[in-house]
Amino acid sequence: MIIKSPRSRFALSRRTMLRGVAGGATVALALPLLDAMLDDHGEALAAGGALPRRLLTWFWGNGVALNDPNDGNSGLRWTPASQGPAYELTPQLQPFANVRDYVSILSGFSVGAAVPGRRGHHDGCAMFAGHPFIELPAGNANYASKFGGPTIDQVAAASIGSQTYLPSLQLAVSKRIIGSEGPTLQYLSHKGPDEPLPQIFDPREAWTKLFGSFTVPDDPSKPHRIASLDTVKADVERLKQRVGAADRMRLDAHLASVEQIRSQIDALAPLCEIPPMTQQNNDDIEGQEQLQAVNAAMSDLVVMAFQCDVTRVVSVQFTGSVGYTVFNTVGATMGHHDLTHDAGQNDMVDAATIFTMQQLAYLLEQLHGASEGAGNILDNSVLFASSDASSGLTHSTSDMPIVLAGGGGGTLVHPGIHYRSPSGENTSDILLAMLQCVVPEATEVGSGNGHSTTPLAALLA
Amino acid sequence: MSAIAAIAVLQPLGCYTGLDGRASGEGPGGGSSADGGSSTAGGEDGGDDGVGADFEPAPVRLRLLLARQYRHSVRDLLGAAAQAAATPPVDAAINGFDSVAAAQLALTDAKVEAYEASARAVADAADATLLAAHHSCVPSGPADDACMREFISGFGRLAFRRDVSPDELDDYAAVATAAASDFDDFEYGKRTVVATMLQSPNFLYMVEIGEPGDTPGIRRLTGLELATRLSFFLRDTTPDAALLDLAEAGGLDDAAGVREAATAMLESTEARESLADFASEVYRLRELATVPKDPTVYPSFTPALAASMAKETLAVLGDIVWERDGDVRELFDADFTYVDAQLAAHYGLPDPAQYGESFTRVTLPAEQLRGGLLGHAGMLSLLGHVTSTSPTYRGKFVRQQLLCQAIPAPPNNVDTQLPQGEQWQTMRERLEAHMSEPSCAGCHKMMDPIGLGLENYDGVGLFRTTENGATIDANADLDGVAFAGARTLGTAIREHTDSAPCLMRNLFRHATGHIEVDGEQGELDEIAAAFADDGYRMKTLMVELVASPAFRMVGDAT
Repeated sequence: MIIKSPRSRFALSRRTMLRGVAGGATVALALPLLDAMLDDHGEALAAGGALPRRLLTWFWGNGVALNDPNDGNSGLRWTPASQGPAYELTPQLQPFANVRDYVSILSGFSVGAAVPGRRGHHDGCAMFAGHPFIELPAGNANYASKFGGPTIDQVAAASIGSQTYLPSLQLAVSKRIIGSEGPTLQYLSHKGPDEPLPQIFDPREAWTKLFGSFTVPDDPSKPHRIASLDTVKADVERLKQRVGAADRMRLDAHLASVEQIRSQIDALAPLCEIPPMTQQNNDDIEGQEQLQAVNAAMSDLVVMAFQCDVTRVVSVQFTGSVGYTVFNTVGATMGHHDLTHDAGQNDMVDAATIFTMQQLAYLLEQLHGASEGAGNILDNSVLFASSDASSGLTHSTSDMPIVLAGGGGGTLVHPGIHYRSPSGENTSDILLAMLQCVVPEATEVGSGNGHSTTPLAALLA
Repeated sequence: MSAIAAIAVLQPLGCYTGLDGRASGEGPGGGSSADGGSSTAGGEDGGDDGVGADFEPAPVRLRLLLARQYRHSVRDLLGAAAQAAATPPVDAAINGFDSVAAAQLALTDAKVEAYEASARAVADAADATLLAAHHSCVPSGPADDACMREFISGFGRLAFRRDVSPDELDDYAAVATAAASDFDDFEYGKRTVVATMLQSPNFLYMVEIGEPGDTPGIRRLTGLELATRLSFFLRDTTPDAALLDLAEAGGLDDAAGVREAATAMLESTEARESLADFASEVYRLRELATVPKDPTVYPSFTPALAASMAKETLAVLGDIVWERDGDVRELFDADFTYVDAQLAAHYGLPDPAQYGESFTRVTLPAEQLRGGLLGHAGMLSLLGHVTSTSPTYRGKFVRQQLLCQAIPAPPNNVDTQLPQGEQWQTMRERLEAHMSEPSCAGCHKMMDPIGLGLENYDGVGLFRTTENGATIDANADLDGVAFAGARTLGTAIREHTDSAPCLMRNLFRHATGHIEVDGEQGELDEIAAAFADDGYRMKTLMVELVASPAFRMVGDAT
């Protein structure tokens, strides 16, 4: 991790203020940059062009407790009984009370990209891309798989990422994720099968990534850093001529990343005041994770990143697939994956689900609370939150628990609805509707049985 | 429960798949090839390469340096201060091995950014004396191009593990001379070269192109490539100038030369560290730092104790391999271990305080039936739940990690709830009631009985004789060999025909960055046979592995 010295940070802050942003107090929350750049109606940029739209994915592992523990077939702990905008908040959805107009619940969907019974968890994760996962030949080594194609956040970043300093940002909260079954379970964001994007666990590191890495324009070493990267590019190009096709693809990805970092070094700092560095770390305290505090710090950073328009695409892995997070604040004494496989622990799974939704609700509330033009940032965002199974006990990839939140810049139904698919529709239909919020020209998502060309109509305004 | 019953119909009642991961009708242990029975390896086709007729090595891939290999290379090239400044991205694992992921995954924005920042910090902190050793010229000024080229050629040969090409020399000279001129400082130009080379794919990847051998589809690694592969495997760092010189003089062109070089490399401190890192990966010791335990159930389990647990296992391995060059299978059933004060208390040794913070070799009390790896508190803690033991995890580890036997994935609809009540006091009673489910029993019979033999050690490895007031019965068997407790289980593993070949396989996977393919099996059998013939000594295994065609040759790139 690179931490800039306080001196360089203050210098950066002073410079950005001189560039025309109202400063005032030296320590302040991030100033909503766009307010200064909006037209009189607050609905577009004064310089022309629509307000930026953002896309987020949010993941928790091991599904939900689908059923009322006291009524094995009720289904009413997660899924509302009624549909439409007046759906009732079930116990596991109650945390969304303050933002319910922005929250749609989608039930009865199936992961089109899944092959039932192929491999629990891996199949569910494939939902975030709509591409069936790639199983790696393992012999008798540990099972492993890769994503079959880019996740939806990276499809969006490929289109809109070049408009911001960072094309996208990957965050995580719980550290209890497993690395032994390959990239599919370990990472939430993937540019392709061989390009998983590691997530940032420490909020201080996330701050540095977002706000502490800008190069001052008159940095005398800047031209040499850029020349170095150009030399590296020449080396990669020469090496490409000598290797096989599979490695050429890897080197193409390497080249693209060198180009991206080159552009970041060359970029101007954003037109907003740099928020003070968060002090929140992600260390265990007496062997226990600080899930709530880390989630809050990460969520606050996401809001600031949007306010400063540092990025428009974010993924948050709250807990991992097959993750062994111990939800100690609700009294759990087992790792989450073990917990979900123990039918006697359904009450605890239920409590962990509610806790998890509280953390998601915190992020939604912060996005909602951040004004932007005539509305707020949540109006101009779309967030897809789900898991890797409907419930950890069954590993089922039908009836996935899905939260779709935000106004999508006016393209999504408002207030939010509960829509229950009558036919086990493909979850990729949801992804496509979501993608079209930020990439209106998008026409398809996924591949194989996960392929979709039909955005979910029920979601559209 | 009806859903589970429905699945049961679809599941085979048997479970075992053999050593090769091929479903076979052979019983447990039947898939072994440790007897060297393969008839295909060993130079029968008469070519210079001396490989078996059906030798088809896996396609060669670029392999990224692991984080530790990057750090050690920086240390060797640029000094300790530079190493301290290095911040390479963290490794990922595929199939349980970092080096397998390093041969498959592409670099991403965040990783390239990390390498860029690290390279600059390393260059800033590089030892000036070490840099000066790469040129004898005295620069006539900051923009002395000829002198800069001498530096680039000298440092570049070590950083790239080969001579810098004319094109590269021109490119690097241009960058360096411009930087030196801008800062009016020749030294800054040199450091710019360093920062650039440390970002180059020629440094970050082991580049293995090879040259055509006697057989179509098979390529021999060049001497320099092999020097690189050897050094990163055996010492986790970049080859030094002497090894590169040896390689260029043809010293690694045959198996005998490779054996000699490897034997010498194993005498270094770095070789010990490298083997410890392999053991930490394959025995999962590095996960001890984050394994969650409930402090109310296991109040003695602290981060400091967990760190000591990892050191214990490495100390035992070091004793066998480096102090005595003994039979490495002793790791499975050694009657001694190493403890500090914390572990001595954990194992109930008298006067634990006497051991202090250093590790001392001790013999364990016989009544605990403890001995070998499976009696180490670290393994017993890793292979458990937050508040209890897991006979299944323990058994699965023995099958998968120590015997290289594949355990199929569980069916999707698995309820792991164990029965609760006075009639089921012990884990054995609870699991046996649970195992009456036929869809689960086929595989769990492969795993649980092994773990039940370890029930005298709780979820953090503390010795116990009762559970919930009932006496624990630790009698169990591994593929027909009866045992009770860690030490006799260890002996059963030691004598199991699959254990030594499995250690060899895991080492090969780590060493080459891929899971072995069928076409490599004959050569791997040869390595296993040589390992057995020389009394299962780890150094022999490492030397024979690198001397094997399966290490020195690669398949055409695809």
